[in-house]
Amino acid sequence: MSELIISALPTLLQGLGITLLLSVAAIIGSTLLGLLAAVLRTSGLPVAKQIAVLYTELFRGTPVLITLMFIYFGIAYFGYEINLFAAGILGLSIYQGAYIAEVFRAGIEAVPKGQWEVSWILGLSKRQTFMNVVLPQTRGIVLPPLVGQYLSLIKDTSIVSMIGMSELMHQGQAIVDRIGQPVVIYGLVSLLYFAVCFPLSRWVQHHQTRSQLS
Amino acid sequence: MSYQWLTLWRYADTFLSAAWLTLQVTLIAFALAVALGLISALAKSSPLALVRWVSHCYVEFIRNTPVLLQIFIIFFGLPSLGITMSAFTAGVLALGINVGAYLSETFRAGIQSVPKGQLEAAWVLGIPRRQVFMSVVLPQAARAVWPAIINNLIQLLLGTSLLSAIALPELTGTATVINARTLLYIQTFSIVTVVYLLFSNVFSWLGNVAGRRMFHPALVTSKKRTIGWCPKKWLSNSVKGGNS
Amino acid sequence: MSKPAIMLNNVTKSFGSTQVLKEISLDVSPGEVLVLIGASGSGKSTVLRIMSGLEKSDGGEIWVNNVPLHENKRAREICGHVGMVFQQFNLFPHKTALGNVTLALIKAQKLSVAEANKRGMAALERVGLAERSHHYPAQLSGGQQQRVAIARALAVEPKIMFFDEATSALDPELVGEVMEVMRSLAREGMTMVVVTHEMGFARKTADRVVFMDQGIIAEQGTPEQIFVNPQNPRTQQFLSRVLEH
Repeated sequence: MSELIISALPTLLQGLGITLLLSVAAIIGSTLLGLLAAVLRTSGLPVAKQIAVLYTELFRGTPVLITLMFIYFGIAYFGYEINLFAAGILGLSIYQGAYIAEVFRAGIEAVPKGQWEVSWILGLSKRQTFMNVVLPQTRGIVLPPLVGQYLSLIKDTSIVSMIGMSELMHQGQAIVDRIGQPVVIYGLVSLLYFAVCFPLSRWVQHHQTRSQLS
Repeated sequence: MSYQWLTLWRYADTFLSAAWLTLQVTLIAFALAVALGLISALAKSSPLALVRWVSHCYVEFIRNTPVLLQIFIIFFGLPSLGITMSAFTAGVLALGINVGAYLSETFRAGIQSVPKGQLEAAWVLGIPRRQVFMSVVLPQAARAVWPAIINNLIQLLLGTSLLSAIALPELTGTATVINARTLLYIQTFSIVTVVYLLFSNVFSWLGNVAGRRMFHPALVTSKKRTIGWCPKKWLSNSVKGGNS
Repeated sequence: MSKPAIMLNNVTKSFGSTQVLKEISLDVSPGEVLVLIGASGSGKSTVLRIMSGLEKSDGGEIWVNNVPLHENKRAREICGHVGMVFQQFNLFPHKTALGNVTLALIKAQKLSVAEANKRGMAALERVGLAERSHHYPAQLSGGQQQRVAIARALAVEPKIMFFDEATSALDPELVGEVMEVMRSLAREGMTMVVVTHEMGFARKTADRVVFMDQGIIAEQGTPEQIFVNPQNPRTQQFLSRVLEH
């Protein structure tokens, strides 16, 4: 069995590398999208709010696989070459961005109304208030659920295997298809995911307040 | 364009049975998840260290590995140990076990949220422990985590899409097949998206209705929140009578 | 007679189905210290919040520093020219005392950092907290926090200062330090509108006391008139309950 492990490991580690790359890129993408959506949502402008609501409702109510397929088939349909990597990052960012938008929104709305009022009286503009007074105060509330979403994102990279991306899940499945031995291979794959996710989920649990109950 | 939608009408039956299958998997798996979640949550407060440890390992394994992997382990992994099953069973098991772990944490948080003072009061009044759990803790815990429970249900619904990987003819898998045949990808996936949105919104709505009826005080999940950029009419209206 | 700093003309305000202000008319002269007293729900805080632009009235006219607050979108013009001290302090928890005081100077009034710091330190000196300029709100007592809040409001050099139950959230022994700052402001001739339960302040420092009851001005006059010789039976009732202890 140890020979099996030794021969499978390099391929799996390669897949893990792709997984991590995908994750980091999608983390950046989804955070930016989520922040944008949250700002639009809380801006008070009706049009902006509607767009943000549509975005979050749509992508929190559909499976990420469908979003990925839309992008994947869409690119092919319009005759472009599919860069799996780009498609994966795009799909994951859009999907998680919707969830992250809600996390940011909760954080923004948790800042006491008095902070907005006093800033208004002091003459600060809305943008200044948001950047200098409100956003800094969301850090404590937002960080644990945000990292929790990142954790989900890392696990969701496995779904990109279904459109052919050779990340960890895909590599593992390819080996099983070729030589069988699912118990050992899946065990290894589990271990690798576990190694990446466990520290994060510990951190989240440690810093989590009452977000479980919402 | 409309010609193409008409083409898909041929597949209306297929879509409907796929939707029905998705619903079945969702509901049965959720029942399993609730059961597992409750058992696991209670196990966490067991006096036996082994029981606590098993529950802990269960939850940690599920949380730190992708659900797709869990599906594959059950469908492809178990046969190598001699256990074979249909895609349906594997799907229900995998999703049930997966969401069960998350529900376990949700339930645990809910149970812990009930103020200890109530347990003490009940104890002093002579109410037996089991009865305290059923009549005092459970109702309040359920109320506290009800929205989270509905969210988990919706997550499970969306998770059924991954069962297309083990060739279960649920919504996503069916859409992929029909798309391969007709190449009408926008229409196919739009239909499926609408069905998912419909299901998840119905679950949400039912959850809200149930929340209002089942609990005292009624659980009203208001979707509107106001923030204080002033001065706006609705800002002042959200302050209940001001603090004069 | 110089033009009033604040003019309220038949101002009405409802929250939902409750009418909180019923045709309030009130003038405040420059340099005057006006104290609003009354029971909870009498509308006194609402009057203050309408004067400072935080609430919009449903009807009537409000003129603050010659700015018509009742006209659409013009309320913004008084921002940075009036100061408001809140019951809950509303300090920025992620900034030091000096940071709190200078934020608006730098961002809204576009002062340089050096200039803002100079003004900020002067304001903190004014309230006796210059040595605490680098402390965060969490490291300050309630009374100190409220004094920082006053310094923050003063730093923008407002023409009018509003106080919304500034001492109600403070432990009793910390009330005095804040009251002292408010008294010194009054002595310097600042136009002040104060909502408070501190009858001692109303008695000794107010130029005029307004007693509000269920959305109307039941009685107003000098402190002597109100406290020694109240005419309206509602005023008498209120005072007898409040002054008991």
